[in-house]
Parts: sequence; C-alpha cells; structure tokens
Amino acid sequence: MKAVRAIEIRGLKKSYNGFQALKGVDLEVNEGEIFALLGPNGAGKTTLIRILAEGLGYDSGEIRIFGEKLSKKTARFIGYVPQESIAYDLLTVEENLKFYADLYDAPKEKISQLIDYFDLPKKKKAKELSGGLRRRLNLAIALLYDPKILILDEPSAGLDVPSRRELWELILGFRKEGKTVLISTHYMEEAEALADRVAIMNEGSIIATGTPEELKSLVGEESIIQIEGLLNGLERLKDKFRLVEKDGVARIHVRTPRESLPEIVETLVRAGSEIRVIKIEEPTLEDVFLKLTGRGLE
Amino acid sequence: MKLRAVKGIIIKDLRELRREKMALFWIFIFPLMWITLFGTMWGGHNPPVSLDVGVVYTNENSAFTAHNVTEIMGNVTLEGVHIFRIKKFASEESGISALKHGKIDSLVVFPPGFGRNVSTGRQAKIYVYFDRSDPQEYQIVRGTLMAFFSEMEKRMREKKIEIQLEYIEKYMPTGEYNITPEAVREYLIASAEPLRIEEKEVSGNAPTPIKFYITSFIGIQFLFATMLTIGSGTLEEIEKGTLRRIAASPATAWDFLAGKMLSTFFIIMVSIFVGLVYSRVVFGETIVPSPLGWLIIFTASVFSMSLGLAIAMATRSIKSTTAVVNFISMPLLFLAGIVIPESIIPSWARPLTEYFALGRALKDFRLLEIYHRPVRDIMPGLTLVGVETAMMFLIALFLYRWAMKRMEV
Ligand SMILES: Nc1ncnc2c1ncn2[C@@H]1O[C@H](COP(=O)(O)OP(=O)(O)OP(=O)(O)O)[C@@H](O)[C@H]1O
Ligand SMILES: [Mg+2]
Repeated sequence: MKAVRAIEIRGLKKSYNGFQALKGVDLEVNEGEIFALLGPNGAGKTTLIRILAEGLGYDSGEIRIFGEKLSKKTARFIGYVPQESIAYDLLTVEENLKFYADLYDAPKEKISQLIDYFDLPKKKKAKELSGGLRRRLNLAIALLYDPKILILDEPSAGLDVPSRRELWELILGFRKEGKTVLISTHYMEEAEALADRVAIMNEGSIIATGTPEELKSLVGEESIIQIEGLLNGLERLKDKFRLVEKDGVARIHVRTPRESLPEIVETLVRAGSEIRVIKIEEPTLEDVFLKLTGRGLE
Repeated sequence: MKLRAVKGIIIKDLRELRREKMALFWIFIFPLMWITLFGTMWGGHNPPVSLDVGVVYTNENSAFTAHNVTEIMGNVTLEGVHIFRIKKFASEESGISALKHGKIDSLVVFPPGFGRNVSTGRQAKIYVYFDRSDPQEYQIVRGTLMAFFSEMEKRMREKKIEIQLEYIEKYMPTGEYNITPEAVREYLIASAEPLRIEEKEVSGNAPTPIKFYITSFIGIQFLFATMLTIGSGTLEEIEKGTLRRIAASPATAWDFLAGKMLSTFFIIMVSIFVGLVYSRVVFGETIVPSPLGWLIIFTASVFSMSLGLAIAMATRSIKSTTAVVNFISMPLLFLAGIVIPESIIPSWARPLTEYFALGRALKDFRLLEIYHRPVRDIMPGLTLVGVETAMMFLIALFLYRWAMKRMEV
C-alpha cells in the first residue's frame, strides 16, 4: 500500500518581480515524519513554507495536502509557526490565544490545555515574554485547531541553547502524537537531531532528499579531516580539496587521509597556522551540502 | 463572513486600544481638552471683560475734576466685576510706554484744564490711546471704553440740561406762549440725543456657542482619530505579519476589514458619546442627536474610515499615513468649517463646506441639531454626503484589495 503523503509538491515555481526564488521544487512529506528543509540563507525555504502555510501565490506547480489540492479548505490541516512572533504585544498570552481561537473557530477548552502544556504565563503580556516563551506561544497558536501538519520556519533561530533543546523535545513530542512536522533550518545539527528525512535546498531548488544517513553516504568514500586552531593558508588548499571553515574549525574532504594529511598540515603551518587539534571525522549534513554545492551552509 | 472571527478581531482591537495610552489620549482625552478649552473660552456664558486702564491727569481744584472721572470709572461694575482697573501714571510718556509693553490695555489722558472746562460748561478734551496690534483685543477695549465715555457724556448732557432748564424756568415768560417747561425739557433732551437706542437681548432660542464646539469635536474625531485608528491599525497588522496570518486562517482579509471597521466605528462612537456626556456634565449643555443626527454621524464616520483606509493602503506606511492625514486634516479643520463658523471662512474655501463630505455632513448636522432646521433643508446635503461616502468606501475597498495583492496573500 502506498503511504499517504501529507504534503506533495510537484514542479513548484515562484518568482518575486522576475527573481526566481523557487525553480521547480518537487517534495514529498510522509504522514507522521519530521521533515527538514536544510539550506543556507536565500535558499527559498521561507518562500516554500509561506506558499504552503500562508497561501502565498505561486507561478506554477501542483501542491496536495493529504491528497487534496492546497486551498483555503486545506489550511485547517496546517499549523504554521513563523519565525517572527505573531502575538499581539499588548495582549496577554491568554488573550492572544483567545483571538486566534476565534479566527480558527477552535474549541475554547484548547486554550487552557495549551497554556498548561507549554507552561505559558497566561496573564503576562506578549511583549513581556522571553524569546523562548514567544516561540512557544507561536507554537501554541499553531496547535489551537489541532492541525495534522505542523510547519515551523527556523524554529530555533535566535534561541539560546537550553531553549533550543526544550523546543526540540517538544517537536519530537509532536511526532509521537502522530503529527507530521515540516521544519526549515540552516543548522545542520537541528536537521540531524530532529529529522527523519531531510531535503537539501540551494538557490531555489532541492538538490538532495533522504534520511540523514542516506545523505551522508553521498559524501561517499571521502573522509573528513577536521582541523582546529589559528588557521592561515586555507585558500591554498581550496584548489585541491573541498573544504569549509567556520569559527576556526576547518573541515577538509579527502579521499585518502593518510596521504593528504601531511600535505595539508605542511601547507597550513608554512602559511603561519597554529594547529591545536586534528581529527578524522564522520561526515555531517554540512559536508553533504559542501559536496553538492561546493560551499558551506552559512 | 466568519462571525466569530470578526467578533474576535473587534474584541482584540478594543483590548489593544485599552492598553495603548497614546491612542487613548488622542481618541478620548484630546477632544475633551478641545471642548473644555473652547467651551470655557467662548462657550456658554461670557464673563464681563475687565480692563487695565492707565490714566494721566493733573490735580485741579475745580468743582469737577479728572480725578472724579477716574473714580467713577473705577467704580463701574458689571455682575460684581470691576470693569476698569485704574492705574495712574505721572506722565503721558510713561503711560504710553506701559501701553506698548502690554502692562495696560488703554491709556486715558486728561489734558490740563480738563476739570476747569467741564466745571465751567465748556467743551473738554480727553485723549484715549489704544494698542491696535491685536485687532480683536482692540475692538473689545475700544468698545468698552467708548461705551463708558458715551454713557458719561450722556449723563453730563442731562446734567447740563437740568441746569439750563433751571434758567429757562426762571426767565421764561409764562402764559405768553403755550410752552410748558416740560415741553422745553423734552425738546432739549431730544436735541442732545435725537435717537435713543435701547439694546434688548433675545434669549432662550439662541444656540449657545458650546453646542457649536461639540459639533467641532465630532468633526475633529472624524478628521483625525477615525482616519488614524483604521489606517495605522491596518498597517500595523500588515507590517507585523498578523494580517497575513489572519488571511491564512479560515477567516479572510475581508473579515479582517469588517472587524477593523466595526471596532473603529465602535471606538469613535464611544468617544463621541463620552464627549456629549462630558459637555453635559461640565457645561450643563449638550446635543442629544436625533435618529437622523446619528445617521449623519454614522455616514460621516464611514466616509472618514474609508478615507483613512484609502490613504493607508495607498501609502502603505504608518509614518506617511500620519503625515498625509495631518496634512489634509489640519487645513480642513478650518477651511471646511469644522472648528470655525462658515461665516468667517474665506469665500474661496466655501466649496469645502458645501461639497467635501465631512464639511457638509457637519454643516447639515449643525443645521439639524443646533438650528433645528426642517429635514427637507438638509436632504440635498445628506444625499451628497451619502453618495460621496459610497464612492469613498468603494475606493478604499479597491485600494485595500490592491494592497492585499501586493502583500501576496
Ligand atoms: N517578498 C519578497 N520579495 C522579493 N524577494 C523575496 C521576497 N521574499 C524572499 N525573496 C527572495 O527570495 C529568495 C528566497 O528567500 P527565502 O526567504 O525564501 O529564503 P530562506 O531560505 O528562507 O532564507 P533564510 O534562511 O534567510 O530565511 C531570497 O533571495 C530572497 O531575497
Ligand atoms: Mg527564511
């Protein structure tokens, strides 16, 4: 039996005043899975999500939600948690939930349930909430009408590490309840920690889809040498190896570590680097992205 | 239309407003300040004026002197208020300087010999100086002083006639002509004052200025609060992304608009009601609009909301909307006769009171509620206002739809 597709997208194209933000996206999200759209800034993640969740217009393509054409009617299947807060600053948590419950014609009992579930301070005004609480209020709003699909745009952007962990727990909890979750992110850690399947997006196209393991195997025979320290002369290696550097950590893709390592170290040291740590690492999704696009995620 | 959603939007708007101190100020307090200010300045009962009058005279020892005149002036009271506060100056120069510096409202100079001239029945001179830099002030000061002197003159005339009559009675040959001293007396009085004008006040039916200022307040609500509430309210939700969210929900952008208009309408109606009650409490007078009066208010508020929305949707920025609304409304406050009577509007601006919906609506509202004109007198105006409102409403809807398209919802 063919699995029910929660979301099915074919050949989706969208341009903003002549600029092509989506260049023909194909995507399938299965019911009950957590699916991550992983891509750098400007990849088109938000655009894709807004088409699904906000009814943003598109140029061509076909979108089905549980087999039904995307429409105002399917809107109720989708709970959307945008990146920005959608709460009204001057209203309390409870008043905000009441307002959105009226909009979605959601049952009133749901309000207090969600306040308890997310441990929200119901009498506090939205403007007095911390970033993490705001994100949870956004989540609560999206869950008011018990949607089958939850779409979160960059859910952990701007959150500190503890808030991020908490949020991940919540998201994993939704899957247990049988919800389908679509998140966008440019943190590969987030995609790896949460997603059953990942689509890697770049410049308006999806360039690979699969489980994190499947994607990592795309890196193939290559190994990753990770070098930490004060690094100079990385650009001299760029012709020969694929590499990314972030916060003083370089990840260099090599076929044969035993042969390449001395050469790499020598080049770096000669350029004046101070190397602190050298590790041979497993590939991450970032390495997949590097392999596919030739550049890093951020 | 999703009724629960519309209701939710209205409640949310009202809750937000309740916590928005600046908006509360502009919608409720500011217009009340307006009524208070103008009501106490010009409304209802005018207290008598009181003037500082400088005097210059030299001491004389005749029977009647300049000093006597200043005493009389100082004693004049109206409703218990001394009309003239007299300040004596040593010289004409020092008096004029005080007048120039605004320390006194007028200077009265009695030249030397004034007392002797008056006492001996000759013509006496008085010089009166005014400051004309404020024409209205000048009118009031001059009018009050001249009224005093003409009254004084009249008394002096009467006194003179008395004296003359004494002589005439003494020397008039009796019986020769058929002239009685009474007839002579009457004749003399009439030649001194051929016309006697008596002022009579009509009271009761005349509208008091406070009612006019109540209608001004209603007009101000339409020109500012209404337009800004709906305009910036809508733009805020576009900028914040909440309108996009609402449009993505089962409710539509049209439900949102309906909710926004109803909440704005409700807020404005409450503010007008508060103003009417306030005026009753503070000034003891108010307007209790008839159903037709309320209909005019309703129509004007729809016009005003539409205009505000149209401006907001065309500019799509809160700052520009505020600027455009102020730019349009400030001059209209005066030129469309919102806060000043039509009679003092320059003739080139008169069409605004005739054809600009808010000016015309207010004019008709005044005719109906203050001057109690028959309904048929204001029918043409109401028709015009209705047509303009319908047109403005359609323009606003059109621009709103256009803005929603631009917003990609
Ligand atoms: N309203 C808009 N008008 C014009 N161009 C837009 C608009 N929204 C997005 N774009 C452009 O479309 C491209 C994709 O943007 P989008 O926001 O979908 O990317 P993203 O993957 O969500 O990026 P980020 O990680 O920064 O959120 C970008 O180049 C962006 O500049
Ligand atoms: Mg984005």
